[in-house]
Amino acid sequence: MFQNFRQAMAWLHTWFGLVLGFVLMAAFFFGALSVFDREIDRWALPATRFEPQPMPSFERVLRPAFERLQPDPALVEAMRPRVDGPMPERFDRIAYWSAYTTHRDPVLAIYAGWEVPGAKNPDEQLYALGTIDPRDGSALRDDQLKIGSGFFYPMHYSLTVDWKNLGFWIVGLAAMAMLAALVSGVVMHRRLFRELFTFRPDRARLRSVLDLHNLTGVVALPFHFFFAFTGLLIFASTYYFPVGHTQLHDLHELHEKHEAAALGLPHGRSGVPAGLANVDAMVAEAQRRWEARGMAGDVGFLVLQHVGDANGYVSVYRAGTDRIALVGQGIHFKADTGELLREDPPATPAARVAEFLTGLHLQHFRHWLLRWLYVLGGLSGAACIATGFLFFVEKRKRQHAARGSQGARIVDALAVAAVTGMVLATLGILVANRVLPEDLAGRGDWERWAFWGTWLASLVHAAWRSAPVARGLPNPAWREQAWAIALLAVAAPVLNWITTGDHLLRTLGQGYWPVAGVDLSLLAAAAISASAAVRLGRKARAAAAAAALREAEAGQGEAVHA
Amino acid sequence: MSATSIRSRHPRLQLAARVGAGVVGGYVFAWGFIAAGMALMSKAGMEFHDAEFVASALGLLLWLAVLLGVVAGRRNPAWAWLGLLGGGALLAALGSFVQSTMA
Repeated sequence: MFQNFRQAMAWLHTWFGLVLGFVLMAAFFFGALSVFDREIDRWALPATRFEPQPMPSFERVLRPAFERLQPDPALVEAMRPRVDGPMPERFDRIAYWSAYTTHRDPVLAIYAGWEVPGAKNPDEQLYALGTIDPRDGSALRDDQLKIGSGFFYPMHYSLTVDWKNLGFWIVGLAAMAMLAALVSGVVMHRRLFRELFTFRPDRARLRSVLDLHNLTGVVALPFHFFFAFTGLLIFASTYYFPVGHTQLHDLHELHEKHEAAALGLPHGRSGVPAGLANVDAMVAEAQRRWEARGMAGDVGFLVLQHVGDANGYVSVYRAGTDRIALVGQGIHFKADTGELLREDPPATPAARVAEFLTGLHLQHFRHWLLRWLYVLGGLSGAACIATGFLFFVEKRKRQHAARGSQGARIVDALAVAAVTGMVLATLGILVANRVLPEDLAGRGDWERWAFWGTWLASLVHAAWRSAPVARGLPNPAWREQAWAIALLAVAAPVLNWITTGDHLLRTLGQGYWPVAGVDLSLLAAAAISASAAVRLGRKARAAAAAAALREAEAGQGEAVHA
Repeated sequence: MSATSIRSRHPRLQLAARVGAGVVGGYVFAWGFIAAGMALMSKAGMEFHDAEFVASALGLLLWLAVLLGVVAGRRNPAWAWLGLLGGGALLAALGSFVQSTMA
């Protein structure tokens, strides 16, 4: 098949990279944006532009908010066929109430789950989520799209294709291809260290594109490997290898029963009604215990299991603001008496490794410099893949032109859509967010359509303008879309100013970085894109002049011969 | 018709079979490895979710190694399919067996 290992790796690198690179671009680019997902939410939802809040009082704020929650009627309707007997008017067999917050969240997302009487599968529950203002407990509209945490974030791991979890599988396969491309890339290149310092922008286009591909790949090699690998690992036991939920389900159940017995935490409901003691007192006790350990901290995760049942208990977890683990130091109380049930022991070595790997990927801790380095790492991954596409096209363009093949032309059009098109789609949803009327029905859906519509338009434009590639020349769509990016990236902050009054002087003056940061990043993107467009224009003119000269010389030659 | 002649006559089919073995066969083999690993480590006294995490992490790396090895391999890909599917099934059966001794 292949002459040697290196040749096999080169084949794998080229073709896996080409086929799944388009998905990887999205994973890296939207992953980079997800680093600031909550800040993008603030930009997109002006009513939530206030300072991050600690976990609010349960008795005063959370309890009324949880009591208001009921499952969405559509979910209730969807479950009806899987239930014996009628559905209750009001769901009151509470499986859990929970709230999770970080040092970057002004609004609080709350979750509730209910057991359904008569459910054919007793494990199937109904759930609901809500968003509240933690300062007074008032419910915030939950039909608004959180563009950062509710769209860009899931885009980076599932492309928001939820049907049969297809999106998770596509991205998972792409992550596996990324790992394979990294290993095969290292095998292909012997002079790894030298490539760290090699970029020759003045050389022929093919050479400088390859330099940049190698540079972005090698500089951030550990970063790329880590994120592709931990991304797979985070979802492994849920989506990719759900062994514990399928084949070894019995072992899982057995473990849960043993654990419940060993820990003194009840497994399942007892069926005996019981009250709920003061949860704020339990939270205060948990905080006192953390302080006694020399690690005073805020509550990150609060969860109440089996509320209203004698087996109910309350778990209080410390926010991981100052450490890599998302949350930790769990302390559990009996719900009806408030009595301490147990304090979690120190994590086992395997659990510590798991906390470290997932915590470092998800990065909920406070470290703004590292946060920006993540963005740079993610963008360098996207740049590495984009330059990979360009190298593929540049290497084949002239041969394909000579043979009359359309291969390079098609790949180039797809690359335009994957690179500039993806940025345009991102700007499209932000601009739509600012121009659509506030009370438009299904506003979030319109925003999503703006995103996909812009992306599709970019692909159509790239294909329509791609004819020169078949003659070995560059596609003008690159330059035109770069100008479109510059235009939209200026329009977005201007529209933010017009619709909310929050211009940069004000947000910078107030030190409100979530919105100022998004605006500044947009303007930086506009500047970079405009300068790229100018350069591309200059090169196109030079190429056109050279082509004209060649034709003129050929014409003269013919005249002499005649 | 010998395997060699299929190889030379249908290089694309041969390549597709090889890549398929690496991706699909590798997945099945990794599943078996994770199931057997989880069950055995649990049996040996490791906490269930710790065993799940360790087995998944190693299983993912195993899948990557199998994918690279099979694509670069020289032998007829039918052997890779056979070995990976058979090996995966055997490992998965081992996992279920160990589970049955515990529940």
